Amino acid sequence: MATVNEAPRYAESDEGFRTEEMILNMGPQHPSTHGVLRLVMTLEGETVVHCTPVIGYLHRGIEKILENRTYMAGIRYMDNSDYLSPMLNETAYAGAVEQLMGIEPPRRAQYLRLITNEMQRIASHLVAVGTYMLDLGAFTPILYAFRDREGLLELFEEVAGSRFNVNYMRVGGVLHDLPVGWLQRLEAWLDTFENSWKELDVLITGNEIFMKRTQGVGYIDPDQAVAFGMTGPILRASGVNFDLRVNRPYGAYRDIKVNPVVREDGDAFGRYMCRMYEMKESARLIREGMAALPGGPIGTRTPIALRPPRGETYFAIESSKGELGIYLISDGSEYPYRAKIRGPSFVNLQIVPELMRGHKMGDVVAILGSIDLVLGEVDR
Amino acid sequence: MVNIGFQIVHFVVTLLFFIFLVATNAVIMVYAERKVMAFMQDRVGPKYYGPFGALQSTYDVMKLLLKEIVRSRDTDNAIFSLAPMIFFAPVLTAFVMLPFSPFMTTSALGTGLLLYVALSSLDVIGVFMAGWGSNSKYSLIGGLRSAAQMISYELPLLLSLVGVVMLTSVVSHNGIGSISFTDIVSAQMHPWWLWFVLIQPLGLIIYYTCGLAETNRAPFDLPEAESELVAGYLTEYSGMQWAMFFLGEYGNMLIVSSVATVLFLGGWSGPGADLAFWHSTVTANPGGVFSVADLIFNVIAVFWFLVKVYFLQSIFIWVRTTLPRLRADQLMQYAWLILIPVTLVNILVTAALLLAVPQPYTLWVTGGVNFVMLIGYVLLLSRAIGASPKGTLPPWVQARQRALARNAKAALPPPPGTTAGQALPAGETETLAGSR
Repeated sequence: MATVNEAPRYAESDEGFRTEEMILNMGPQHPSTHGVLRLVMTLEGETVVHCTPVIGYLHRGIEKILENRTYMAGIRYMDNSDYLSPMLNETAYAGAVEQLMGIEPPRRAQYLRLITNEMQRIASHLVAVGTYMLDLGAFTPILYAFRDREGLLELFEEVAGSRFNVNYMRVGGVLHDLPVGWLQRLEAWLDTFENSWKELDVLITGNEIFMKRTQGVGYIDPDQAVAFGMTGPILRASGVNFDLRVNRPYGAYRDIKVNPVVREDGDAFGRYMCRMYEMKESARLIREGMAALPGGPIGTRTPIALRPPRGETYFAIESSKGELGIYLISDGSEYPYRAKIRGPSFVNLQIVPELMRGHKMGDVVAILGSIDLVLGEVDR
Repeated sequence: MVNIGFQIVHFVVTLLFFIFLVATNAVIMVYAERKVMAFMQDRVGPKYYGPFGALQSTYDVMKLLLKEIVRSRDTDNAIFSLAPMIFFAPVLTAFVMLPFSPFMTTSALGTGLLLYVALSSLDVIGVFMAGWGSNSKYSLIGGLRSAAQMISYELPLLLSLVGVVMLTSVVSHNGIGSISFTDIVSAQMHPWWLWFVLIQPLGLIIYYTCGLAETNRAPFDLPEAESELVAGYLTEYSGMQWAMFFLGEYGNMLIVSSVATVLFLGGWSGPGADLAFWHSTVTANPGGVFSVADLIFNVIAVFWFLVKVYFLQSIFIWVRTTLPRLRADQLMQYAWLILIPVTLVNILVTAALLLAVPQPYTLWVTGGVNFVMLIGYVLLLSRAIGASPKGTLPPWVQARQRALARNAKAALPPPPGTTAGQALPAGETETLAGSR
């Protein structure tokens, strides 16, 4: 199974030289593996013959932690799963518990979830695009991306009290209502973001070197994408129109219609484009959500100790990386009997060895970056 | 008439100037790079040490000097320690024949251009030694990439300069060309401003591109591609050994810019310097007398030279801030399939025009044709790079759509660069990921 300790194989080249495959260990401490992913690559010259991802360097046992926390207390630990989109993680977990208990958050809470979720999606995609360009050797886009993301994190801080580990969602609603003037500040941020989106687009999208590096690299066939269980921008970039916000709408997405971004390219460039235009779409959704934001309570009254009825449930949302599903089994106590996270990054990782094969070494980072892995979610 | 005392003063002053320049240039450029990049990237950059953080690089140098040199157990010690010196030595040597002003020239070598090309190809030895001696896979790949890259770009670099040498033969009054840097500068200001960039813009662009590759700067910084190779051949180096490579890289930038200035931008010619030169109030090659007028003239000349050099170096920074990195095979493709043919065509066309067009119009026609060729080169580049234009779908997607429209799924063409057609070594039979 493991190729990690396998001896290199020898081959006879065309010129009659005896060449040796080189095993290159990339990571876990490596600038471009986005955390602590370890790739054991067998190289034939600069061509990747075989690639084995080794995961588990960031395992914190989040699923087990969830089982040892009450339902309400578990929400905070979901922040650390996909640490680039905590709002989305919390929505998934809170939604799963609500589904288990059969309660529905009030409409205002649902809209607040939509707004914060889409903000988080923009933030996550900004990081994805920025770090992707950093992997490809362009230093500037990541700083532009982080500059814009900073505005979002400040807004999160105002509404939730924390920039990063927001801990904002609650079972049956959200924690706080919006501060005074928050919507105006969000509006202002959206205006600046639309300008800086154009800036990013001009800087990256038309660049010949960037297109040359990404077009035709890491191509995923639509059938292959479905067979490997890809979700999110990767699936949509391969031409499969599947978005949980549309196909299985939850919360406020039942009112506000999403136009999913579908590209036919199927390559790294398509995935990049998909993320870029999803940011635009998210900005539109935020505006619609703000316009339609209803009044009323931000949460249902829930008992202090949540004891969902015995049973199991699966609740999935469209996270920034794909389908983020929470599978919960309740034995009627205050603690989940089993909490399983279906992390999109983990599922998307499994196509990486298949994509790497035959590509040059320089493409390894181009492919890996386009998959947009977050190791916190892979290892959990 | 040789004045020994003057010769000694000349030698000492020039030597000190060059050493001072190489040492300070790196410090200035590191600071400038960080500040300019910070400005372009909407951030502040260094700001704590000195006014506006100006002493930041000085502190960095001090840190590097004090740092322990760590080396891994398995390095090949002799090669590993020699490599930084071998990398740095040609850089210092290359300053020998650069004419910063008529006075600030250590040696007006008759073969300056040739020596420069020879010295710039020596760098690769140091890089390769570093890659091999480190006994690390990342270093080895970085060294190999660097060797391939520097050798490949040596050719178009040299070829792009041939046009300039041919021009000197036309411009000079006796009809004999020269590869001496001093002569080339004089040719560009005689009898009027005739910077060769006006006649050979294509040459400058290609030379500058190759210069980027020679100095391992973005977008050709594959040997030290951070995202793939950690730091390439520099991975195992630390402390002052690392700083030698760093100094060498910045020294290389300085030299590439200086040579571009000398060959294409008229060297030290500029308002003030030219006036003195044209009116023969000073001698271009002082033999013994050195007046205050000479001093002022030389200061002005060095000033213009440095202005042009730092202008070109700032373009290095600008390019680095803007462009992503090429892939190794694309880099080779670019050198062998685009740059070398284009430079060869440039040489042919320039030579033919210089011979064919009668004298008063020679330079006008040659320059005009070269500008047209430059535009053609840019168009060719965007075409040859082969990326589909913004907004259109790549060809394999269009083919797939056509196939889907015909409902013939079996006829799907394989996309480029993926599984089909990839040469895997013999015996590679597995089909799915993860297991062998």
